[in-house]
Amino acid sequence: MAGVDVGGSSGKRRTVDSEVNMIPFIDLLLVTIAFLLITAVWTHMARINADAQVPGKPNEDPLKLEDVKPKYLHIEMRGEEKFVLIWKQGETVVNTVDVPRKEVKIQQGRVEVIRFPDLGDKIQEEWKTNGQHANASDPVADQAVLHTDNKTEYKYIIAVIDALYGTKRDRTVNGKTEKIPAFNVTFSIN
Amino acid sequence: MPVQKPGRRLFHFIPLDFVRRKVSGGGNRAVVASLSLTSMIDFLVVTVVFLLMSFSASGDLPRPKGVTVPKAENTLDMLEAPVVSINGSQILVDGLSAGNTRAIEESDRLQKIEELFNLLKNKREMWARIHGNDKPFPGVVVLQVDQEVKAIVVKSVFQTSAYAGFPNISFMVDSITKASGK
Repeated sequence: MAGVDVGGSSGKRRTVDSEVNMIPFIDLLLVTIAFLLITAVWTHMARINADAQVPGKPNEDPLKLEDVKPKYLHIEMRGEEKFVLIWKQGETVVNTVDVPRKEVKIQQGRVEVIRFPDLGDKIQEEWKTNGQHANASDPVADQAVLHTDNKTEYKYIIAVIDALYGTKRDRTVNGKTEKIPAFNVTFSIN
Repeated sequence: MPVQKPGRRLFHFIPLDFVRRKVSGGGNRAVVASLSLTSMIDFLVVTVVFLLMSFSASGDLPRPKGVTVPKAENTLDMLEAPVVSINGSQILVDGLSAGNTRAIEESDRLQKIEELFNLLKNKREMWARIHGNDKPFPGVVVLQVDQEVKAIVVKSVFQTSAYAGFPNISFMVDSITKASGK
């Protein structure tokens, strides 16, 4: 039988030479591998959050009501040539930016991954200028509203939401800082 | 120890292939093959470590036929919530039929899907019966949508879920690692 020699023995003293029994050891390793292979999750499912509760949950502390009206970022994705980013404060349009619709397609197996890197960069830039909730102690995220036509395929919607969630900010809770998405997204019904 | 006359020796540089063949099985292929135990154990240990590191108990959700979820980078971990599955022909809530996708696409208008609304409402009531008033209702629903489904269906399901008391809506995606260069 195979063994691992870890030293020699001398005289009548208790031997310091011990052996690891290789057969159960290899059996254990093989069973562990078989278990892990069977229970392995090869495709990791995750989620992208959206919120239908707009403008958000009621403010719990009325004393903290801000005088400043919230700004919403409206993303218009109905055009075939461009996206339009519109910052609105109430009914007032604060800023409008056109972003050329340059999609990057990556084939991954059966799934075609659509990405809009230019849109992601522009949203980040816009949030730095117009975002209202950049403070790390602020629990509220800026609100984005997605406008899409009825025929748009779901994968394009996810690509735009993914680009939107690429903009991150710091959030400190109990002295611990982590990166969270700067926006919360919802759909426009029209 | 007496000095003895050396016996016959084989020199290493003499290529006595027929002797080597004889020793290793008489010209036939050897029956006994040795396995290097050290390298085998090394390999097994490395495999176990790799599998343990990549093991994850979350994100293991069954995917019904006909649903290919899109891939995304900026994702959150999955959570326990009712799953609304939408493929090219039907809408299912935890496996139960809750509407027809084609009918919504053909009507081309935003609508409240009655079957879906009733099923989700039942789920909310069931949750309230189990948990009572001690815990606030999370109102989370996970939409497992095929990537080819049209936006009108997604918007209708989104709106119906909100009406049924599930305003926190998550879209299930296949998580991919962030690309280094965009």
